[in-house]
Amino acid sequence: MALNIVVCLKQIPNPDLQFQIAPDGKDIRRDALNYKINGADEYALEEAVRLKEKYGGRVVALSLGPKRVDQVLREALAKGADEAVRIAHEDSGTYDVGTVARLLAATVRTLPHDLVLTGVQSDDQGSSATGGLIAGLVGLPHASVVTRVDVKDRILEVATELEGGLQRVYAIPLPALLTIQFGANTPRYAPLPAIMRAARQPIREIAPASVSLPYAFGVRGLSPPIAKGHAEIVTGSVEDQAKKFAQLLREKGFVRR
Amino acid sequence: MSGDILIVAEHLEGRLAPSTFEVVSLGRALAAASGGVVRVALFGQGVRALAEALAKLGVEVLLVEDEALAEYTGDGYVLAVRGLLESAKPRLLLAAHTAQGYDLAPGLAGALDLPLVTNAVGVRLDGSRLVVTRRLLNEKVQAEIEIASDRMIVGTVRPGSVKAASPAPGGIVVPTKVSIEASRVRMRFARIERPTVQDIDLAAADVIVSAGRGIQKKENLPLIEEFAKAVGGVVGASRPLTDMDWLPKTRQVGQSGKTVHPKLYVACGISGAMQHVAGMKDAGLIVAINTDPSAPIFEVAHVGFVADVLKLLPATLKELTG
Repeated sequence: MALNIVVCLKQIPNPDLQFQIAPDGKDIRRDALNYKINGADEYALEEAVRLKEKYGGRVVALSLGPKRVDQVLREALAKGADEAVRIAHEDSGTYDVGTVARLLAATVRTLPHDLVLTGVQSDDQGSSATGGLIAGLVGLPHASVVTRVDVKDRILEVATELEGGLQRVYAIPLPALLTIQFGANTPRYAPLPAIMRAARQPIREIAPASVSLPYAFGVRGLSPPIAKGHAEIVTGSVEDQAKKFAQLLREKGFVRR
Repeated sequence: MSGDILIVAEHLEGRLAPSTFEVVSLGRALAAASGGVVRVALFGQGVRALAEALAKLGVEVLLVEDEALAEYTGDGYVLAVRGLLESAKPRLLLAAHTAQGYDLAPGLAGALDLPLVTNAVGVRLDGSRLVVTRRLLNEKVQAEIEIASDRMIVGTVRPGSVKAASPAPGGIVVPTKVSIEASRVRMRFARIERPTVQDIDLAAADVIVSAGRGIQKKENLPLIEEFAKAVGGVVGASRPLTDMDWLPKTRQVGQSGKTVHPKLYVACGISGAMQHVAGMKDAGLIVAINTDPSAPIFEVAHVGFVADVLKLLPATLKELTG
């Protein structure tokens, strides 16, 4: 029961950085960013490769973005993807998840797919919507926040995580789409020879499909978040801060002395 | 197009999700602004009592009961919404941005080719446009986006961004028949699984000292434990730590873990992603320690130390015991 798996990967600005807003106010400044693979997508990739190793088949890593995104796709090849496809697209266009999902869906339709995987959310836009949209557009059943996947007789059994730690388990026939949760597995490190090999492998670049949107979308503007409240910040040397922290804990009665 | 708002209620094991009350509150405000009507769709089987509880919020509740809707499936709910849309033309469909809400909303928007915006912290109408505020890049950037369409817009609202609706008169339950072909529900609900690990109950603790990625390595956990002990508390964690198995899942604070209301919450090296903050923002006193002054945890904390937790905790312990 070989599986044709398409895993959608996103390259994002490292969210641990500080960000500045571009002069036109419609994007962040992108001149001094470093980029990485989206956190949840690492788990989606690992799940795809594990399923291939267990059941046989092929993994196609699919991404969308400028040339720089090839780095993420090479990482995927080094970790076990068989093929990499990049839809050429500019960053400024990624604020609308509907556009991104329609472009990805157009390509997914052209690839053999028993199973499509995405991460549960991106750490830059945080929409948690790309996977579900692709599923709806392509006509696949889907489940979100998946922490465990088994396949038997072309039926998936998946555990999906709910708020509060409960899991809801579904049986879903293939073909299907799943969005994979953080911590669903332990992503592997790519061995050096695989990294060397991946560096020479071709990445198929394709032009974005022309998609028609049932709406008009616009970014009005970006701003630093308006803080609902802000902590009273304690400054000074570590020793000074420690004194104030200890004093606070005593005053509020959390320590007795 | 009408200014009507349709809300999809969420429930599990006979209980309405608290976030549904927040979405109803937002829906009421938007409908008041647009001169429309708010309707809440409740899908399920044997859930009349939940419909009546929702009607107490002063809204029209469309109660759709069907065997195929007994448990949530994306397929079943999409078919149910599709059925309702045959006789109604709302301008906006809203759900909470929960595991269920962000499963349903994109699937629906994709299947019906509708505009979608998710994880909104603010939603307003500006003429014919829907203006939505979202948080990006680990909460460090806020974006205002707009969508205009002659089709129904689908949206999800982040839990905790709107106050829950309070009771109001004028609500009504309207049992509504929607035909759902069971064969078109491709997925099948199997069961609910509960965590089996026996551990302390974080939700019952008065003091929680939580560790995040800022503690850098597992070997630093004893420091957190020592500090927790000094302040009479227990150790909690942010998601990355439980994902790496540094601490059991039962210690995870946040949306997918425990929601806690301790008297004191000390966030050690936790950035303050929405998923974590949702679980601890109502603590009595929140103290945050983080090296990044722009970390969103300082937004919910009462007192903040811009410091390396691995230095500040030992120094504070020395102050407390020395």
